[in-house]
Amino acid sequence: MPKTTTEQRFAVASVEELPLGARKIVEINNRSIGVFNVNGQYVAVLNLCPHELAPVCKGRVSGTTAVSMPGQYNWGQEGEILYCPWHGWEFNLLTGDCLTDKRRLFHYPVEVEDGTVYLLWKGKT
Amino acid sequence: MSLMSKKPSLIDVDIHPVANRTRMLDFLAEPWRTRVARGNTGPSSLGYWNPNGVNRPDAITEDGQRVEANPQALAKHLFDLYDLEYGIFNPGGSLHAGLSPEPDFSAALVGAINDVFIHDWLPVDPRFRTSLVISPGDPNLAVEQIHKYGDHPGVVQVLMPSGSVFPYGHRYYHPIYEAAVAHDLPLAIHPGSEGNGVSGKSTSAGYAGGYFEWHTSLASNYIAHLVSLIAEGVFVKFPTMKFVLIEGGVSWVPSMLWRLDKNWKSLRMTVPWLDRPPSEFVADHIRLTTQPIEEPEDPAHLHAILDMFPVERMLMFSTDFPHWDGDTPDFSMRLLPKKLHSRVMSENARELYKLPVVEHA
Repeated sequence: MPKTTTEQRFAVASVEELPLGARKIVEINNRSIGVFNVNGQYVAVLNLCPHELAPVCKGRVSGTTAVSMPGQYNWGQEGEILYCPWHGWEFNLLTGDCLTDKRRLFHYPVEVEDGTVYLLWKGKT
Repeated sequence: MSLMSKKPSLIDVDIHPVANRTRMLDFLAEPWRTRVARGNTGPSSLGYWNPNGVNRPDAITEDGQRVEANPQALAKHLFDLYDLEYGIFNPGGSLHAGLSPEPDFSAALVGAINDVFIHDWLPVDPRFRTSLVISPGDPNLAVEQIHKYGDHPGVVQVLMPSGSVFPYGHRYYHPIYEAAVAHDLPLAIHPGSEGNGVSGKSTSAGYAGGYFEWHTSLASNYIAHLVSLIAEGVFVKFPTMKFVLIEGGVSWVPSMLWRLDKNWKSLRMTVPWLDRPPSEFVADHIRLTTQPIEEPEDPAHLHAILDMFPVERMLMFSTDFPHWDGDTPDFSMRLLPKKLHSRVMSENARELYKLPVVEHA
């Protein structure tokens, strides 16, 4: 079957399902994708850690310690950091950046319309 | 292993199931039964904090049970998932006991752990094998345990904590080695107990100031054990003995081989039983496990190091399931050069543990 380039929009959650700090893991085009409400911002992330391919979206979401002087622990970014459940790699959910490695989370664009969170799928299915 | 099959067989030599505490009571004599039932299991860890937990939080079954706590769940979620031909158990939570200052209690406790695995786990799946946990705190009691279970077909090695009072070449431990060799069993050490109980400090230099510092420095204790085993002539005294350094790192080995050989050229007269370069004893008697395999930015650097010593004889694949720093089979194979896959992913372990080839339908 020839693959086609398409743009699709998938309803992935109602805003009621995703209060602050909540997540939902959905399956779209055979991909497991985590949808998160990060301090009011919705993000959709491929559920695959770029390190060893763990289900990264099952990890805990928390804050983390900012870069600091020895002996100081400055807590911040509460709700923005996804910790991979396998090796504990820290990812910034808003940017997809890993705090310690060049490899990143894969984000999908999302939009909210009439109380529904939609994931925009661009490209091959 | 079919000739048509491109995928090598997989033998995982470091898996951590956990014995049910209540079930252990069935195997404990008094007064230890009462002691454990009331919650005292001897020395615990130093309490170093891994914020993600030592066990993978996602290693749970559909109904919320920990995978490592149940033999059927472990068979399904590890052995079936990765199509393991065999897996070797190194019972979780068993190493602290070996560093208790109470020798009778610690021998009873590790004995009960062995009882649980031999009675409840090994019969469940033909792919299961286990290490026999011993407490080195009283070598005579350890020897009794080895003689009790050393010929059980599911028991493939004798396991000790890598935290220790003396480095493992010391003759204090030789009765243990003599017993293991009598049953044709390799010895193995596993990290996790450094600094606990009567062990030396958590690193060779002293107490580490946190989990990151301790875990990264584990290789320092492994280096001390390796050099001690060679220097004290353990493999001269026990020429059929094999010693497995589980989870202690791989990439430091070549530099230590060079250091051993260089010093041997100057100081041989102090270790006159070493009638050939120490690196040759290492190649013949030491085995290593892959996880946590080092991950340099450029994988070619790891490949170069693996060319510097006979990994095709020495290195065995391990997942460390379900611990936080585990390696999956596919990840390990992506990092290791293809020419090593067969030896490392299964055949070195098959030879060491005498595991028959399983013909797949």
